[in-house]
Amino acid sequence: MKFKAFLTDHGVSLLERRFVPAFEKIGKICHIYLTRDHVILLHNVLNADGVQAIAQFNKEALFEEYRISSQNEDRIAFTIDLTLLSRALKSSISMDGDKLQVKLVKKRPTLSERPMPYLTFESKGYRSAVVQDVPISQPLTRADVQELQYALEMVQDLPRTLVQMPDLLQVQTLVERLKNVGDVLEVAVTQYGDLHLQVTTTMVSIGSEFRKLRVLGVRADSSTIEGASNPSARLEQALRNREASSVQVSMKHFTKSLQCHLTKPDASFCGVSPNDSCLLLMFQYYVPGTRQTDNSLSLHYRLPVLDPGVS
Amino acid sequence: MTSPLAAEGLELRCLLDNVQGLVDALTSIHWKKQQDAVCELSEHGMVITVEEWSCLQGRVYFRKELFRTYEYHADVRPRFGVSLGLLVDCLNTFTSSSGTTALELQYPGSDMQLTLKLVDANDTCIYAEMRTRIPDTLPRDYSIEDEGLPSYFAVKSAALKEAIDDLEWPGSSISITISSDPPGVTFKGEGHGDLQIEFLDNSQTDLFIAFHCDQIVSYRYKYKFLRATTANIPTGIMKDNRGSKLTIGAGGLLKVQHLISVRPSPTHQHHSDPSNTQQHGRVSYIEFYVLPDAEDGAEDGVP
Repeated sequence: MKFKAFLTDHGVSLLERRFVPAFEKIGKICHIYLTRDHVILLHNVLNADGVQAIAQFNKEALFEEYRISSQNEDRIAFTIDLTLLSRALKSSISMDGDKLQVKLVKKRPTLSERPMPYLTFESKGYRSAVVQDVPISQPLTRADVQELQYALEMVQDLPRTLVQMPDLLQVQTLVERLKNVGDVLEVAVTQYGDLHLQVTTTMVSIGSEFRKLRVLGVRADSSTIEGASNPSARLEQALRNREASSVQVSMKHFTKSLQCHLTKPDASFCGVSPNDSCLLLMFQYYVPGTRQTDNSLSLHYRLPVLDPGVS
Repeated sequence: MTSPLAAEGLELRCLLDNVQGLVDALTSIHWKKQQDAVCELSEHGMVITVEEWSCLQGRVYFRKELFRTYEYHADVRPRFGVSLGLLVDCLNTFTSSSGTTALELQYPGSDMQLTLKLVDANDTCIYAEMRTRIPDTLPRDYSIEDEGLPSYFAVKSAALKEAIDDLEWPGSSISITISSDPPGVTFKGEGHGDLQIEFLDNSQTDLFIAFHCDQIVSYRYKYKFLRATTANIPTGIMKDNRGSKLTIGAGGLLKVQHLISVRPSPTHQHHSDPSNTQQHGRVSYIEFYVLPDAEDGAEDGVP
């Protein structure tokens, strides 16, 4: 099992400034999954609860001279502490080195102990070099790697309808306030391009309806709901028409997911997965200076849906 | 002739520009998590009252001039109960809208709800329906008669807050004395230690905005009640630092009145002197009534 590559400056800044901070908001430990062509960060994919987050990069988006080999079709996966990863990336910048090598190694922490796996960051400057060993877990078993692979494939199973989320900071301000009212958030997406975020308790029902958003996938003509005078009536009509999906998610999960704005997405989409199995948030990034989607990186969040019986 | 409001079965429909102003005012009387408030509507505006232990009452007067439009039609003034914390949290949600559109409030809905709605320029609608209750008890109608001109003083709100904050150290019970010779006010706390704070009325300091005292008065009040009168005023309001007036009426009833500015809307703010005439109408009143400490309340006269 071997892995060695050089992180590019762009790769360091993508990880250090954008993706690692966003992932740190979800949890401290995450999976890193390396394949022949991709580098993938995954959160909570091997357990059912919690926000699943999956960021996938083409190897060229982060690395050059990328070399990987393993008996499991050149696939390697392990868990890493994001705080340590972030610290290693940060100090590599201050080194002003010309090349940052990342390598999978086994070392003995002390002579008496068994060798432990590390991800070693070696930045070579003009006069000095800094080597940082970030401890990682033992490599995942074949079965666990397969689980990660399934999770990756599941994300490709997109909802039939996705609507483009309004400005994330605006949504964040709203949700920060809704959070005080209740801890279950109802999210509804219609095929007309409407997004409803609502909190309902015994005393109050409060929410926001964003209308006429961009729709990806199956869309419908909104004329059938125009007669309805208020947001709740419009949503009810849309649900009756089977042109909307509505699910309940944990407010805590949703607020955590909105920290995705740290990755600076150019477009964010929201949809309900088939069979109302989860709420999916999908983020796109443009090739700098254009409005073309950069397919070399992608980010998806999957929020578990609460059983309506529970709330 | 029936008004359009009555035809829709409504008693109130109003548009509010500055939701933050109402949030700030209500926050000032929000001294604990679970607090029931009684909201009374009238042709003059809204009054929201909270009461505690029958010794402390807080009231917010939100006059109709503070609304962009205010339509009211009812034979009997409607009164309903709401949870103050929930009302503040709901109203706060509407402050997340960055637009300039006003919040529409309506009462009653089909199930006696209070409905709130705000639609901004890009078709985003924030809405809320709050259930209301029939109030268990009606708030007591405290008032201080002007007869015999009670003793009062007014200072900048921040000065009052600072004095009351400092009195936390002795805690328990605080005596407030307004005296005419020499003219001044003394706050005195005796508990874990003694602390005395004096506000003196002399020409060197312009501490007092107003001062009146014919005869010395002195009463003791529970610290936690006094604290409630200033502790929750949002810092933004404190920065404005308009005035706070304390009046001691018959039997030691203490009235603390704060003025807070309610700007028309954040986008229409003028960088002008807050005391100018244009903004005089944009003021909301917050009042607290505190009853004196029962044990040795009747301490009228020289302490």
